[in-house]
Amino acid sequence: MEITDLKEKLKVQIIQFLNLTDLTPADIKDDEPLFGDGLGLDSIDSLELIVLLKREYGINIQDPKEGRKVLIDINTMAAYIQQHAQK
Amino acid sequence: MSFYIHKTTCISPQQTFGDNIDIEQLRPSVDNKLYAVEPAYPQFKGNALRRMSKSTRIGSGAALPLLAGAPQPDGIIIGTQVSGMEENSKFLNQIIEYNEDMLTPGSFVQGTPNTISSQIALISNNKNYNITHVHRGLAFENAVIDVAMLVNESPQNTYLLGGVDEISLNNYTLDTLAGWFKKEDCSNNNLYSSATDGSLSGEGAAMFIVSGDKQGALAQLKAITTIHSTDAEVVENRIKTFLQNNLPEGEKIDLLLSGENGDRRSTHFYKNCEALQGSYTTIARFKHLCGEYPTASSFALWLACNFIGGALELPHHMLKKAGTAIGLKNILIYNTHKIGQHSCMLLSVVS
Repeated sequence: MEITDLKEKLKVQIIQFLNLTDLTPADIKDDEPLFGDGLGLDSIDSLELIVLLKREYGINIQDPKEGRKVLIDINTMAAYIQQHAQK
Repeated sequence: MSFYIHKTTCISPQQTFGDNIDIEQLRPSVDNKLYAVEPAYPQFKGNALRRMSKSTRIGSGAALPLLAGAPQPDGIIIGTQVSGMEENSKFLNQIIEYNEDMLTPGSFVQGTPNTISSQIALISNNKNYNITHVHRGLAFENAVIDVAMLVNESPQNTYLLGGVDEISLNNYTLDTLAGWFKKEDCSNNNLYSSATDGSLSGEGAAMFIVSGDKQGALAQLKAITTIHSTDAEVVENRIKTFLQNNLPEGEKIDLLLSGENGDRRSTHFYKNCEALQGSYTTIARFKHLCGEYPTASSFALWLACNFIGGALELPHHMLKKAGTAIGLKNILIYNTHKIGQHSCMLLSVVS
């Protein structure tokens, strides 16, 4: 899958998994931080995102340090998925 | 077994919450369902709101204004049967879909019945008695009985009492297949002229601050009884005994709030209850406002408090029969859920 399409798909999945019903994919910028001042996600959301990666892409993140590098923004998540997706 | 009701709020399919309460103008049902009109919930901060199930939103949303600026209640007692069933279904589906692996906590936490009372306690920092009653169609009534016993033990204490349920699509489908909701299109405007099985699905949250102190109270809940029977004669006799035991001598029921719901199979229970009252009593119905749900009697209690306290007048669309009663001193709420579970609540003016 092209990286652009993957990012769009990922945004839809994030909205769905995290119940961000007041957002559309267009509202999420590729380089907008997922946590803190950006989307404002929190630690419970990070758990949901790790589950999303496992369920939808077969990616198993077990090391918290690795998780911190991946769950920065849409760009980092999409790049990681492209490299490690199992399905 | 009685207590005094001091404050009350309600989020329902009608305009019953906030500053512009209006039950004169009937909001219509949509696809045989009456969905709650939800407010903006400014009191929920950060990510809390998007994680909440609907029942937690409407339950907490109705409760928190009652607690704002008031002393902490000595207990939070909630009645709910369905609770966050939508989230519960999501969690159960995830168990199957992902083979019991990689389950996230959100839907599980929001899908348990006691999430509502817990969420209210967490937000209001209340560490007192906290309990949820889940006795199907008598969940709210059991919460009322619990509160009445607590007030009897400690009349000076104050409690938050509530009844909450949401429409869950899974439950709606199952209950429709089982005949509890109408299979044909039906509007709440003509609910009572329907001659078929089932009713319209509804949801809502009604909250009450209660205590044993009558000073400044809106109304007194004088008595409550629950009846488990499908025998119309047994139910009728129990209602008769309830009224004999709890109505002061020489007084009658001024208003009967009937839970009639358009299901032809339960109409005779309501007719029997009406027949016990005679021409003096005004008879009104409320299920076209809130729909049918296991804790719908909490909506009726909210209405009764507002009628007896003078905050609301009985709208014409609720009226089934005008009686000769002039004032409102005693209101009887009679409700039946799925035919086998019945309840009577007697609400009176504060004397």
